[in-house]
Amino acid sequence: MSAFETRTAEAAAADSGARGPLFYVGATALLLAMAVDALAVLGRHVGLPLLGSLELVQAAIVVASSTAIVFATLANRHAAARFLLDRSTPRVRLWLQQFARVLTLLFFLILASGQTWIAHDLWDGHEDSELLHIPFAPLRLVSILAVLMAAAITLRRLLRRSKA
Amino acid sequence: MGQLSIGIGGVVLLLALLSTGTPIGVALGVVGFGGLVLLLGLEPALIKSGVVLFETLSRYELGVLPLFLLMAHLCFAANASRDFFDAAARVIGHRRGGLALASVAACAGFGAISGSSLATTATIGLVALPEMRQRGYSSALATGAVAAGGTLGQMIPPSGALIIFGIIAEQSIGKLFVAAIVPAITQVLLYCLAILIICHLRPSIAPPTPRVGWRERRIALLRVTDLALLILLVIGGIALGWFTPPEAASVGVVGALALCLWRRRLTWQSLRHALAETLRTSGMVYLVVIGAIIFSVFVSVTGLAVQVTGLFATVGGGPLAKLLLMALVLLLLGSVLDGLALMLLTTPILLPVIQTMGLSPIWFGIFLVRAMEIGFVHPPIGLNLYVIQQIAPDVSIGRIFKGVLPFLAADFLHLLLLILLPAMALALPKLLAT
Repeated sequence: MSAFETRTAEAAAADSGARGPLFYVGATALLLAMAVDALAVLGRHVGLPLLGSLELVQAAIVVASSTAIVFATLANRHAAARFLLDRSTPRVRLWLQQFARVLTLLFFLILASGQTWIAHDLWDGHEDSELLHIPFAPLRLVSILAVLMAAAITLRRLLRRSKA
Repeated sequence: MGQLSIGIGGVVLLLALLSTGTPIGVALGVVGFGGLVLLLGLEPALIKSGVVLFETLSRYELGVLPLFLLMAHLCFAANASRDFFDAAARVIGHRRGGLALASVAACAGFGAISGSSLATTATIGLVALPEMRQRGYSSALATGAVAAGGTLGQMIPPSGALIIFGIIAEQSIGKLFVAAIVPAITQVLLYCLAILIICHLRPSIAPPTPRVGWRERRIALLRVTDLALLILLVIGGIALGWFTPPEAASVGVVGALALCLWRRRLTWQSLRHALAETLRTSGMVYLVVIGAIIFSVFVSVTGLAVQVTGLFATVGGGPLAKLLLMALVLLLLGSVLDGLALMLLTTPILLPVIQTMGLSPIWFGIFLVRAMEIGFVHPPIGLNLYVIQQIAPDVSIGRIFKGVLPFLAADFLHLLLLILLPAMALALPKLLAT
């Protein structure tokens, strides 16, 4: 598969992602964060403060940002300095790309392991937010799930290229 | 192996990984994690990484970034870039070099929405370059003006780079935004001055275009009134303390949605596209920030920043010489590192130096972003040059760079002014705080 075909396939995958459940979860969370924050501003200025708005926004942002990481991985959008990569021979470029994928996979697994460790330690503590008592455990699970999904996408890409 | 050697080894390894095309966030995170394993052990390193992941994803202040991105995408869907350029072109386009001036003005206008250098360059380039070339402008001046003007997206609030700096350096994003206003305005003025000087010296490269009537000018200006009001609301609201930057971002998105509705440009397809683009770009930024925070923890454990501070203390000639040296280091690194990587690598090392010198971290944020911007327009990285070349494939990179040179001179002068007159960045936040 040529570099162009690969990019086209990745872009197509990303576009189809914009119609999948992942997109709707992330987009809804983002719009929820916006709506709550805007209502909080409005409420404050008209003398009707929205209690716990910050906690609601934080929860929505966890879901939106976790989804965003998966989305960026799916679209292969992670920022990289490409000037050396673009000037390499196809063979060296493939090798460097695979190397970057191994490191990316490793990093996602490190993040997932670290957060799983903490979530496990705090599981019985039933941590929640101060005002609205939003439980943190499900939000921690969302973040773990997101980096594991990103790891799975990277692994699939790594194996596909190895076979190619 | 001592802590310092591990720190230096980490920085070298990071530079090597970045040059091989490893994603910036991954390179920062893996090197930071590896260093922490060596210095503290596997368990603390893993736990720290897990803590950083959740703290970053749940950070209220960082939520500002996806929301500002969404605002930018919605404004783009509302045809903001075309309208900004049209308005500027009708008002000043008939003067010699007027369309180049209009490009810079349009970059400033769109930069106040997008917060990104590349996005500003690409969107304004698409509308301004064909117009300038059709009117007989030299390709060097046309491409140079847009490439340099695009960097304004990074400085004019709401700037993505300033948001990330605020998170990494633990500084008020609101103060950073306010501090960027005067430097951004002076940068625009210097770019305009550069265009006027070039056109004065070589009038043939930017022929005057027919003057349009006042009615047409008024129509074009009226068309950007809603956009201008939105920008004023967002930036003014932060500056006047009506709302915090994260709240301003939400207000901005509501305003952008209203603007799209008002302009009859809000379709399900445009909204879905804006949301999808926002999620993709935000995911990239979140990974970079997570990696950068892990790396900065590693740098602080190694004591590397303390050593660099000591090294700077040995430089004679007072604070000015130290800052000039720092600017030189940043510019040299900026020629081999991506702007974001430059900021994330140097902030944890240079910020303590700045604080030891008694200088403001807010000023340093503006200074760093300004140095970063310069890296966007000079080879070998010069991402804006490549963005422009994609829009105008018949113009060589060498020619685009030639066109950028006068603006680079303006950039160096601006950076020097920022060093000599820190009040350029600090006066407005101080004034508004009183």
